[in-house]
Amino acid sequence: MRHRIIQEIASSVVAAGGVDNIVQALVESTTRGTEAKGCSILILKDDEPVLVHRISYGLSKDYPYQEQLLEKGAMEQVLKGNPLLAWDVASDPRILHKEEALKEGIVSIAFLPIHHQEKLRGIMRLYFSEKRKFDREELDFLDSIAELGAIILEGAETKEQLARDAEEARLEMARVRDEREHFLSFLSMVTHDLKSPLVAVQGYLTMLLRKNADKLDERMVKGVHRSIQRIDGMMELISDLLELSRIESGQVLSELKTVSWNEVLGAAVDMTHELAEPRGIKVATEIGYPLPEVFASEIRLQQLILNLASNSVRFTPRGATITIRGHQENDEVIVSVEDEGAGIETDKLPHVFEEFYKGDPDDPEGTGLGLSICKRIVDMHNGDIWAESPVPETGKGTRVTFSIPVGVTCRLEDRWMLEGGRGVKTAEAIGEDSQIT
Amino acid sequence: MPEKILLADDDPDIVEVISMLLEDEGYELVVAKDGAEALEKIKLENPDLIILDLLMPHVDGFEVFNMLRDERYERWSKIPVIILTSVREEVSNRRYELETGVKMNYASYMEKPVEPDELLDTIASLIGADN
Repeated sequence: MRHRIIQEIASSVVAAGGVDNIVQALVESTTRGTEAKGCSILILKDDEPVLVHRISYGLSKDYPYQEQLLEKGAMEQVLKGNPLLAWDVASDPRILHKEEALKEGIVSIAFLPIHHQEKLRGIMRLYFSEKRKFDREELDFLDSIAELGAIILEGAETKEQLARDAEEARLEMARVRDEREHFLSFLSMVTHDLKSPLVAVQGYLTMLLRKNADKLDERMVKGVHRSIQRIDGMMELISDLLELSRIESGQVLSELKTVSWNEVLGAAVDMTHELAEPRGIKVATEIGYPLPEVFASEIRLQQLILNLASNSVRFTPRGATITIRGHQENDEVIVSVEDEGAGIETDKLPHVFEEFYKGDPDDPEGTGLGLSICKRIVDMHNGDIWAESPVPETGKGTRVTFSIPVGVTCRLEDRWMLEGGRGVKTAEAIGEDSQIT
Repeated sequence: MPEKILLADDDPDIVEVISMLLEDEGYELVVAKDGAEALEKIKLENPDLIILDLLMPHVDGFEVFNMLRDERYERWSKIPVIILTSVREEVSNRRYELETGVKMNYASYMEKPVEPDELLDTIASLIGADN
């Protein structure tokens, strides 16, 4: 009998998938294996002493298999873990619903506690249409079958729960992703709509100066010039705010690729020349080529160096020099931008990377966001950034240095991090179409 | 005959400002307020140069640009295009390449706001080169 039961259960349970199918396979195979008429499983509900019918096999609807079939005292014994065999239902005083049992053709019922990990999980009932007797050893074996049932059931339920959890997590991820994409496209739209009127107003003002400057007095001309400058400042602020939000919300994920530091620095140096030369500022470079490649955002790294360079240009007098240095040191690439400008006062130095911090609040140029954007970009690449003023070696100017690990993996807030595996996704990059700066 | 420039931009104020600038210089200006109109007017007016905004309703500038590479527009494919937009250049390039698989070969890319003289110089150099 044993061999047959185990084989029956093993083959049908293995073939079944999903908790319900497994439970069904379990009661069917146990019924067949024990040559019973039918089989039921009742589960203890959440450790409460209440049995809930889970499934039955081989019984008609007329038989109250969903209800208690044992009187209270006997039931308590079973719940204490003792198997019970009513070998003659008709004469057994412990059995309830006798008439229905007889009508159903049930002669014996075995009640087997289902244990798993030292705990009672429920009971299994086996119904027989002839008088069946089990010796102790057989009962023990059936007990083991019941436990096997519990293990299978629990395994299947855990698996289903895991699948449900995974599905929930997947939905949550999709929701967060949608939310992010929504937010980014909202940002782009807002930026576009904020800037468009400024571009228009500035266009008219520019034309006014161009065509009618001779009809305006000097003060008015100056006023219009100032208006144009103020609009420039506001557009810069809008761009910077957009940049910060994009970095914060993980937009950069779509920009990640293998990036050559040689190219990044080369391009940044070229752009610095373009910025500096019209102002009569020289650009010197000390770069230890070749530099390694990293997995990073090329645009952001260039933006980082260029932000530092444009700060330097702003505060460096005509004829002075800006020096860009870059080299690899162990597992890091270290880049610095040094100027010969007025420097930063010691008490202001610790604040320069804070948002909206401006060394000179009255300076109409700059938004106070440039260095905080730099800091975000460096953070995102797991690096470090710091400022020195005056530069220790020369005793003047300012030097901002950052280091970025070579084996860099881009780091973002955890919830965005989860999406890292998606890599560059077309729709995401296309969603950027309306980026306005 | 004055050179004819097609300006495609959905912002009427931008159109007005650029009209003032170009008409003063003696260019003939044709205006389209979206991409669909631009495509029609390219065929009708046969401009010497196109100034194209990218973000426009209905048919946007990317699509116009792409259409100019289509064989139906072969006759007009040599017209130089100045992209004049508030979208950053590398962002536009990336998007266009992702969508079409080819590089966006414009004659010039200018980000708004643009200096009047810069725009005029660019136009002059392109139309001059074309003749």
